[in-house]
Amino acid sequence: MIPLAIIALATLTANGSRQLRYSAVALLGVSLAANFVTAGQLSATELAVEGCGALVACGILYVAARDQTYGEDPGWRLWLATIVAAAATAACFATLRTANAETPSVPLFGEDPTGVTAQVASFWLLSSGVAILVTARTPVRGSLGALLMITGVELLVRLLDAPQLGLTVLLAWLEVVVALAGAFLIVNERAVREA
Amino acid sequence: MTIVAAAPLVLGAAACISFAFRKRLVIVAPFALAAIAAAAGLVLDVPPDSNGTLLDLELRVSPLGQLAALVILGTLLLLVLDVWLDEPAYNFFPTALAVGATALGVLVVTAPLAIFGLLVLGLLVPVGSFTFQIQRNRSVEAATRHFAFVALGGSLGIASLALSQSLPHDQPANTFVLLAVVLVVAFALLLAAIPFHTHAALLAGEVPAAALALYFGVLVPTTFVAFAEILTLSGLLPAIVQVVKVQDLLHGIGLVSAVGGAFLASGAPDLRRLVVYSVISNLGAALVGMATLSGPGIIGAVASVLVTGASASGQLLAAGALERLSAPERPIASRAPLAALAFVVGGFAMIGAPPLLGFPGRFFMELIAYQFAPVTGTALVLATLLLIVGQLRAVISLFGSGAGHWVIERRPIAGIIGGVIFVALLIGGIQPEGFLAPIASFADEFLKAMRPL
Repeated sequence: MIPLAIIALATLTANGSRQLRYSAVALLGVSLAANFVTAGQLSATELAVEGCGALVACGILYVAARDQTYGEDPGWRLWLATIVAAAATAACFATLRTANAETPSVPLFGEDPTGVTAQVASFWLLSSGVAILVTARTPVRGSLGALLMITGVELLVRLLDAPQLGLTVLLAWLEVVVALAGAFLIVNERAVREA
Repeated sequence: MTIVAAAPLVLGAAACISFAFRKRLVIVAPFALAAIAAAAGLVLDVPPDSNGTLLDLELRVSPLGQLAALVILGTLLLLVLDVWLDEPAYNFFPTALAVGATALGVLVVTAPLAIFGLLVLGLLVPVGSFTFQIQRNRSVEAATRHFAFVALGGSLGIASLALSQSLPHDQPANTFVLLAVVLVVAFALLLAAIPFHTHAALLAGEVPAAALALYFGVLVPTTFVAFAEILTLSGLLPAIVQVVKVQDLLHGIGLVSAVGGAFLASGAPDLRRLVVYSVISNLGAALVGMATLSGPGIIGAVASVLVTGASASGQLLAAGALERLSAPERPIASRAPLAALAFVVGGFAMIGAPPLLGFPGRFFMELIAYQFAPVTGTALVLATLLLIVGQLRAVISLFGSGAGHWVIERRPIAGIIGGVIFVALLIGGIQPEGFLAPIASFADEFLKAMRPL
């Protein structure tokens, strides 16, 4: 439950920040908390791969910002994204919940064998990402939304009863490529704006 | 690791190496060509239905995978050749190789989630080659919108697929339907199907012709084949057959794209937009073919999409050459007659005119569409007629100024490439068995997946 709260707060911080560098640090917090939620489902190698992917992706965004001030003021988009994400998370959990337990036990801290926490976290990240991405004006918030969604996808994939190493490597690469493409667009957008 | 994964791995390694010396055109271009040729050799060397594993992912070279890989590699080879000799752009070569690696990966991996992940990876790679002259055009905005569409469609698609795989069997059918609907909409976003085509329209106007050809000639056909494979391998097909709503949605999106794309193509203001809207229309027709959930529909859809990719590449390269050589005026044939000719013959393939290879696919789709519902068949024929109108308008615009002072291009690369694609499609059209047999074998697998024993 506590990692879930950290994910929610870090998502709000990343969403609400006017500086890309703060958003990148908050994104790293989201990824670390997400890794903690599903630590029991992955081997040490897989966790390391996912952690490295998240670290590199957030590092790329941090460097792409170039200085402390660069970013995008979310304005009303912050509230819209938060309201949409909260409503969509509840709706998704009601209709698409696949965790088997009749009365899910949600431990305050530690492993979550039923996967309920991971599923709620993934729905929250996906719906936050959709809301941010759809209302984004520049690549700054576009990259943020895309990375939140990829983190949500990683959580969902970890819940599958299937071999994970290949998928973990692939999704970690995807996270890095999303960050690279986003950073490339951020740099270009800034060049256009400053011309 | 087995030989099955050799071709995509070779291309992936070549992409990394070529990135290191991407600014040395004399080295990187021949290197890219050699890597693509080597990958084609490796694809041909592996017997169909070979299996293997990479990490813990199962791999398989299906006959359709082999055919699509060869078509994609052939198109990539021509694109690299064009960029090297006609329109040097240093960041294109590693991008093309990386796109080739992910496309070939999509065709050999058998896990639906991995197919989708690789596809999204491939769709994100060209973002770097979309942006150019950023102070003078809206290419950054076009690339940003493409990025957003791919991230949105890709994440929603992978998430819905992951959820559908973890659903317990006693789940209500509506949940499967909801997830299948999200999956279809995710692919509609990635395929730029109407009404999700705004990023494609912006790309058509703002990005370099070669990058556009890389997207519409290589990645869009790969996306369609991946969609068909994911439906086959994910186990969602029986639920889709039982609940008709998803089939109706696919059918609806396909029809809107086929007719809407053809309308837009018939009134397209320039050559690039004509090609892009024609591709969208053909993809819509292919979605209708797939929505019929029948053997001929699936064969027609996949065959049509592969031919559309090749002919779109030829037409886009020709359009780029015409624009460059006619600038600052509108493109006319007298400035680049061979490129204009390549554009016209590419148009024949795009509308599925006999005896070219595009004909069997379009014939199958329209025939089965009539059987499915006469209105659907009529709509597809209407779409074809509108595409013919669009292509004829382009011919009149190119050749309308008459045969005044014609100057053959000094480097008729786009013209020659268009000619090569036309000859290949003509030979394929005269002997279509070799092309259609692997697609028919995939259609068998698709039909078996619909009704598992």
